[in-house]
Amino acid sequence: MPNAALELDSVTRRFGPVIAVDRISLAIEQDEFFALLGPSGSGKTTMLRLIAGLEQPDEGQVRIAGEVVTDLPPYRRGVGMVFQNFLLFPHKTVAENIVFPLRMQKMDKAQQQKQLGWILELLHLQGLEARYPNELSGGQQQRVALARGLISRPALLLLDEPLANLDRELRSEMEVEIRRYQKELKIPFVYVTHNQEEALTMSDRIAVMRNGRFEQIGAKTEIYTNPASAFVAAFVGHANRLDGQLSEIDGGLARMNWAGGQLLVPRPADAKSGDRVRYFIKHEDLEVTAAGLNGGGLNGHVANDINQVSGTLRDIIFKGQTANYIITLPQGTDLVVSDTPRTITLKPSDPVIVRWPAGSGACFAAEGA
Amino acid sequence: MSGLRSGKRLHPELRFLGLAGPGAAFIVISLLLPLLSIVVFSFWRTESYELYADWNLDNYRTLLGEAAYRTFFLRSLVTAAIVTAICLVCGWPVAYFIARWGGRYRLLLVLLLAAPFFTGAILRITALQGLLGPIGLVNMTLVELGLPPIEALMYTQLASGLGLVYLFISFMVTAIYLSLVNFNFELLEVAKINGAKPWRAFIEITWPLNWIGTAIGIVLVFIPCLANVVTPRFLGGPDATSFGMSLSQQFGETGTWALGSAMGVFLFLASFAVILAIWPTIKLKRSGFTGAVQQ
Amino acid sequence: MSAGSFGFGRRVAPTAIILAAGLVLLYVFLYAPILYVVYTSFATDVVWPFPLDFTLTAYEDLFASSLYGEALSNSLKLAFGSAVISTFLAAGGAIAVLRYRSRRRGLVMFLFIAPLFVADLLIGISILAFNARVLGLPGNLVSAMAANAVQGTAFGFLIILAQLVRYNWSMDDAAMVFGAGPLRCFAEITLPTIWPSLFGAFLIAFILAFNNLEITFYNLGAIPTLPSVAWGSLRFGLGPELFALAALVNAFVFAIFAAMYGLMKTGLVKFGYRGQ
Repeated sequence: MPNAALELDSVTRRFGPVIAVDRISLAIEQDEFFALLGPSGSGKTTMLRLIAGLEQPDEGQVRIAGEVVTDLPPYRRGVGMVFQNFLLFPHKTVAENIVFPLRMQKMDKAQQQKQLGWILELLHLQGLEARYPNELSGGQQQRVALARGLISRPALLLLDEPLANLDRELRSEMEVEIRRYQKELKIPFVYVTHNQEEALTMSDRIAVMRNGRFEQIGAKTEIYTNPASAFVAAFVGHANRLDGQLSEIDGGLARMNWAGGQLLVPRPADAKSGDRVRYFIKHEDLEVTAAGLNGGGLNGHVANDINQVSGTLRDIIFKGQTANYIITLPQGTDLVVSDTPRTITLKPSDPVIVRWPAGSGACFAAEGA
Repeated sequence: MSGLRSGKRLHPELRFLGLAGPGAAFIVISLLLPLLSIVVFSFWRTESYELYADWNLDNYRTLLGEAAYRTFFLRSLVTAAIVTAICLVCGWPVAYFIARWGGRYRLLLVLLLAAPFFTGAILRITALQGLLGPIGLVNMTLVELGLPPIEALMYTQLASGLGLVYLFISFMVTAIYLSLVNFNFELLEVAKINGAKPWRAFIEITWPLNWIGTAIGIVLVFIPCLANVVTPRFLGGPDATSFGMSLSQQFGETGTWALGSAMGVFLFLASFAVILAIWPTIKLKRSGFTGAVQQ
Repeated sequence: MSAGSFGFGRRVAPTAIILAAGLVLLYVFLYAPILYVVYTSFATDVVWPFPLDFTLTAYEDLFASSLYGEALSNSLKLAFGSAVISTFLAAGGAIAVLRYRSRRRGLVMFLFIAPLFVADLLIGISILAFNARVLGLPGNLVSAMAANAVQGTAFGFLIILAQLVRYNWSMDDAAMVFGAGPLRCFAEITLPTIWPSLFGAFLIAFILAFNNLEITFYNLGAIPTLPSVAWGSLRFGLGPELFALAALVNAFVFAIFAAMYGLMKTGLVKFGYRGQ
């Protein structure tokens, strides 16, 4: 891989007894939008700081554009970064903040101004040059931080939860914009977030992190549809979690005893009959219908490769384009079904049937069982 | 060892030492070693202004045996305690006002507390005497009006105490102020919304969160008061000889350095006892002060 | 936060008024003797200067005498040197403690605060004893500077620490990622934010050393400073020149305060105040 924008080679960082980043190896291509997704404390921010040079690895090597930078301080690495709370310099104007990286590179004044004009236009910041950061709205501060990160056209842009402090609406607007800049400028982005929607919306590839290790790394559709572990299945997307026991293995599929019936689920690797398992099925993979004449009350894997359970509709959470139908099953557990609200006319406390294709979803050996 | 990678970059621990090391070394050389040296001298002997290294406990025997030293010490101790209490009670409201309502003039208001120091302790004490002393403005005016002068202020313990309050209250106010500027006053509103009366909110929220600053203020007033030389000498009259006055004589007029050193050790132990008494009440975690901000 | 500066133009809390009265009383208490000093400097008789028979003799004598000029110059040199040493050491210590999570942080904090727990007098005599009997050094301006810087460092450390807790060190991370080396970073990002606290530390260290009697007295030998001259002249009664000199020093200090007030009022310089 001669042309990888960033390579990590078995990088490890410990804080006392805690291993924040544990032998991580990774290569990020030019033009790639790469997301590091994980809950807080998973080591993703430490990893970003290792790449930036704000932390030094205890072991391993960091290469940016083929050059070993492990021992270089942050100011010699030529990367850009957008920080969680923007970290604009409060005593400098917008223009001074943005040209800061160019001044540090000792670029001549005329060239600085040219670059400044270009980035201001790109990010729609014209007219704000003379303002101070505390005179800007959250969205404007975000753009300034982005402008400062991009103005020198760095070899790599690191983004540390840059949208965490914005409100929801602004966030989804910025998600689209950030992806657009990445595609236009062809600068590799490494984007750290704990928000799976952000990662799914923007990135090309996602690494899901947990306890300093990659739980799974791959294209975002792969991560979404084909989670490699129970952790990923629970963390990415919205899934129902069903705990049961395998009764019969049948090639790539297995039968799981659950709530008095049997469901046909994908067979976890090396699973045997009798193993306790945890089965995940995404909200949007389920389908809800009013309990009618066609076999209400029959639970489990029924004919025509369908898993089916019946229950009572408890509540409908309207979300705009979709709605979440919360269904209480007779033994007390809840299932959530995400569906288009217009297609169905159901009321709370109606008896309903939930169906999904047999063998879909993801199933894993129960942890610690 | 974790984190001690020998790269081209300076390890954080080295940077830490580079920044803090000079100051720490300076304190060791200019404070700890000198203090250690007087501990050593306190076990020596002075004869006609010369120190002799024959180890003995005579200085401590003198110190503990002679009633005069005990009186001096107790007098200093009681005065220091009362003065500290007065500074605390008078200092808190002032510091609170500056921090809460001083607005953009806060720094100026605090500097105004410090400015009198430019006049120097001796001149300030003399001036205080000129106002309140036996032939001071207040008493002479009373006499002119045919009234009796306030005898309580004529070369008494009270006058000496008042002088100490005058000299040191600024320390108390400044210490409390420095704590209060980092205090989030909105917490009080939360307390009030939850039903706490103002005084209750003060006791439950403001006081505990600013206790460290207050404790520092207490130490900053108490310790110099305990050792003060100038004030009792000029305001206190013949019955006000303080431990500090007696101690400074050993290094000056009488030249009995060994005994003086023993007195110094005594003074230090007394100061240390106060700090030991306050120390357990200091809980960094409960103060809202967390130290390193990084990460 | 509801009330702005002094709560002008808004509903003023009654507590604020009571506390403001306390503040005013304290200032009266603190400044009455200072006013007395200034007043007396224009009097013939410094012991009983009432009613005032105005004279400038004290000022003439002050400028005619070389002793006071020398004492003032020594005091200024001593205070300046001591404040520079203190500010540098204290800033280094405070930054180190807040910035780096070292295992030696506790020890460093203890060392920097320790001088606060030792009385002036004790610092003075112990350094005297150490210098004279252990190192065999005579007292001079440098040793007095160092001796005074002990307390200055402790006070400076506390002052800088109190203000610096709020500083966001990630700001330096940001500057560094964008290409600023450590020195550049300090000069461009850290210093503009923290200078008021460094200034405060310098000022306090300066004032402490300028007026210190006990520490200086034991470590300066025969070199006169303002406090030691005052101390020395006490047994014959304070000379009127001292009152005049103190009046001049106060005039100078208050001229600076007036300038600061002007700058704050116009908002030209904020001295670290960033609103509530």
